[in-house]
Amino acid sequence: MPTFRLPPSTEDVELDLLPGRAAFWRDRKTLLVADVHVGKDATFRAEAVPLPLGSTDSDLERLSDLIRQTGAERLLVLGDLYHARAGMTDGTLSALRAWRADHQSLEIVLVRGNHDRDAGLSPSNLEITEHDGPLVEGPFCFRHDPGSSDDGYVVCGHLHPGVVLRGNGGQRERLACFHANPSRLVLPAFSEFTGLHILHPEPGDRVAVVAGTDVIALPVDTVESASP
Amino acid sequence: MTTGSSSNGDAWHHAVTRIDDWFADRDWAPFDYQRELWAAHRDGDSGLVHAPTGTGKTYAVWFAVLLEWMAEQIAAGRDLDAYDELPTPPLSVLWITPLRALSHNTVDALQRACRELRLPWRIEGRTGDTSYRKKKGQLSDPPSALITTPESLSILLSYPDTKEHLQNLRMVVVDEWHELMGSKRGVQAELGIARLRRWNQNLRTWGLSATIGNMEEARDTLLGEEEADGRLITADIEKDIQIDALLPEDVHRFPWAGNLGLQMLDHVLEELETVDSALVFTNTRAQAEQWYRAILDARGEWAGYIALHYGSLSRKQREVVEDGLANGRLRCVVCTSTLDLGVDFTPVDRVFQVGSPKGVARLLQRAGRSGHQPGATSRVTGVPSHSLQLVEYAAARDAMQANDIEARRPVPKPIDLLVQHVITIAVGSGFFPNELYEEVVSAYSYRNLKRAEFDWAVRCASTGGSALKAYEKYHRIEKYDGDLDTYRGMYVGTSDRLARRHRMMIGTITSDSSVEVRYKNGRTIGQVEETFISRLKHGDTFNFAGKTLEFLRIEDMKAVVRKAKRRPDGVVPRWLGGRLPLSNQLSTWIRRRLDEAADGTFRGPEMSQVRSLLELQSKWSIVPTHADFLVERVQSSEGFHLFMYPFAGRPVHQGLASLLAYRMAEDVSITFTMSYNDYGFELLSPEPAPLRDAIAGGLFDTDNLSREIEASLNESEMSRRQFREIARVAGLVFTGYPGQPKSIGKIQASSGLIFDVLEEYEADNPLLEQARREVRERQLEEDRLRDALDRIRDARLHVIDVPRMTPLAFPIYIDRLRDRISSESLAQRVRRMQEELEEAALREGEA
Repeated sequence: MPTFRLPPSTEDVELDLLPGRAAFWRDRKTLLVADVHVGKDATFRAEAVPLPLGSTDSDLERLSDLIRQTGAERLLVLGDLYHARAGMTDGTLSALRAWRADHQSLEIVLVRGNHDRDAGLSPSNLEITEHDGPLVEGPFCFRHDPGSSDDGYVVCGHLHPGVVLRGNGGQRERLACFHANPSRLVLPAFSEFTGLHILHPEPGDRVAVVAGTDVIALPVDTVESASP
Repeated sequence: MTTGSSSNGDAWHHAVTRIDDWFADRDWAPFDYQRELWAAHRDGDSGLVHAPTGTGKTYAVWFAVLLEWMAEQIAAGRDLDAYDELPTPPLSVLWITPLRALSHNTVDALQRACRELRLPWRIEGRTGDTSYRKKKGQLSDPPSALITTPESLSILLSYPDTKEHLQNLRMVVVDEWHELMGSKRGVQAELGIARLRRWNQNLRTWGLSATIGNMEEARDTLLGEEEADGRLITADIEKDIQIDALLPEDVHRFPWAGNLGLQMLDHVLEELETVDSALVFTNTRAQAEQWYRAILDARGEWAGYIALHYGSLSRKQREVVEDGLANGRLRCVVCTSTLDLGVDFTPVDRVFQVGSPKGVARLLQRAGRSGHQPGATSRVTGVPSHSLQLVEYAAARDAMQANDIEARRPVPKPIDLLVQHVITIAVGSGFFPNELYEEVVSAYSYRNLKRAEFDWAVRCASTGGSALKAYEKYHRIEKYDGDLDTYRGMYVGTSDRLARRHRMMIGTITSDSSVEVRYKNGRTIGQVEETFISRLKHGDTFNFAGKTLEFLRIEDMKAVVRKAKRRPDGVVPRWLGGRLPLSNQLSTWIRRRLDEAADGTFRGPEMSQVRSLLELQSKWSIVPTHADFLVERVQSSEGFHLFMYPFAGRPVHQGLASLLAYRMAEDVSITFTMSYNDYGFELLSPEPAPLRDAIAGGLFDTDNLSREIEASLNESEMSRRQFREIARVAGLVFTGYPGQPKSIGKIQASSGLIFDVLEEYEADNPLLEQARREVRERQLEEDRLRDALDRIRDARLHVIDVPRMTPLAFPIYIDRLRDRISSESLAQRVRRMQEELEEAALREGEA
């Protein structure tokens, strides 16, 4: 599995950036994801938009694959595990319970995001530890939205970062990405049923795009500039 | 009603006399076709009228219904001169117009006639521009005639009590039917009329149309299957139309100059000096903005005498401009198709067409805005934006002389609109599936709708898409299951909240998510697309409505701006929406002109002017005749370009380009980007394309065509793009609207994302199939693609390496709208782009 290392600040700690839109903190066997938006499809249906079943199941399956591949013992969700209260239907909850049953020994920690607050607390039988505020561990400060912190290098989600690349012959690609600057790393949204917020990185930023089976680091000045 | 007894006949003649007097007072006399229509309407017929612009189509239908009513009053012993004793007619006429911008003109014109004839008819408009209060009043105290748009009619049908108000209709009129037909809004009108027909046994339908190539089909589409013997009434009025063009001095440098046409500004100004009034038509709203600004910059003293007019401007602004044209204050209006149409026909001295005429019918209609006095000549002058357009004007003149006018094709059974309609009727009066199916297939566009397709649409709205499994918690409409036997089995809306949301969404067929632009004091200027606004930052300036505006913020889904103090950053909003392709007719006539040119014959001023440019084309390459197929290869800093010229029109070129790219990418790992115009297309790749091998391997074969078109379609983004409109119409994506509940935010997703989800988890969803079908039938036209390939194989193939882009190639190059076909993996592509960029950066560093 190809990985790319992006060491945060000066600390001698590394995170593997995975093409499955997640990061792995090897020292602590912790898998990091953000913006899973479980039940987003069900939310649409509850609001009378006829979307097929499947995207939540598929996201959970991808999560299982990553847990198996990395051998993670702990899953840390950086907010927006759930999409909305309307999406917490019987179908969504039973899919979640079945998924949890497949990973009984896995410790799951959720740093709550704005969508989680709308959805309410996790059902107790899912055994998810929830934190309302930032979670400081080792050199990192884990949070949902990309605020600043004095307690460590911020790792967060919320933004659904993406970039536009341009190549010869007028080619153009929109890709989800990891986006780091000296004080924080933003993870791509884990769910495939999410859009991209296109970034315009500044000098000194680092960007690694998710391209199929690879994560590829880019020099920042190759990314499309901010002008409309 | 029929004229059985002689007293009815007398009453009719008496009424006709009054109308004749009205004409005589104005020194006019009714045309024969107008009398023909009056009699046809009296005899219970429906039909389609076509007549040149400015020859009284509006009054032809309007007087038909007034005459009928007047004759009834006389027959009932009432005195038409005793105004106070005449009964006020109930809602008797529904008048559908394609543009809300036209509705108030129509109200004025119809009301004026009633005032002058002293008839107690009240005429009102009901469109997206009409205030909520006024709309409510219209239902409690309906006018005698209501002027509306297809979507406003649809919204009317979504109210439960509408049937009460619409069951005394005598006549439904569809104005500018040639504009509506061939669009989903036209189908929306068909569905609405099918319903009105059921509610009103005596309803007659009349369409008004400019001349198009398939008048019979236009009539049948309007009237539906039930009235196959409808009338086609033709005005026997000849009109002289002159098509000419402004000639640039230097055709050589010209095609390189960009595609706005502003190089011709001085010529246009010179012409404008000599006339009292003129219309300058452009093909896009952005182009209109730029021309308006350019004219004003060059002739500051004309401020106040020139104006801008297009559909996205606020109604108030448009009215000021229309009034200015009517009272002669304005000397020049820069406009788009909104001024093609219009009942309150204000004649002007000259009409200009900036850029390609695109089609013969359209150019003739625009020409018709000038010289409308009997016997006068209408004149339209082309303003080329690149030299080859001179050929197009000459070709348009040829087509006009040969009377070769384009056809408009009806839209075949759009499922997205059916889903929308099913919901509309459910939340309105409710429906039983058998009855609604009968009604829907009586509309021409749905005449081949299968019952299974109808049932899917009902299911899509009621239990979700899949046939096997109902979606959990999901339904927009549901089957009534209460205590009232009469209603059991009827589909009705599930909640007032969803009904309200549905009504908000009905109007969105054409408008991409748009945002109102207003000043801080709340005054509205118009609408721009959300995608444009979303890219602006506080303090950015842009040109809109002829003004330079500074963007402040988004507030309640509205863009708040103020007048900018400095010059704009050169940004003009772009409005999405299909670019009009060159018509078949025009392409055919262009090819004939090029055949002549290849033969050394250059007839007329335009061809003489473009001669040296075509000779340059011959020198570098060849001017392809219809017996040649030309492929040009050229290398640039961008990569390796292949230009091919089938002259089959943009849609076919789009299909051909993806097909050929797909075939060439089958054996080698390569990525193509594509651009196309109406003459040909370009395939651009970072490495040379394996052209010779591909040709030897059957590049132009028609074997496996359907399958490979399908495959190349999936590769490119066309279906995905086509799905935008479908998702909106079927209610899968929501454009925001004022006062929207917070819950909407949680279910907003782009149509692209929805497309991906459907493809992944419900690949047989009929809406996806519709997107592919629309691309295949309406954009790519598989039959024409097959013809084009056959022609290519029969033609002499010329593969020519050229040192730089030729006069034929360049317009394609600058008119780029790119698609991609690739056999590289995403990761491969990204790595390559990354390397290219780094190399370029390195080179710059060394320099």
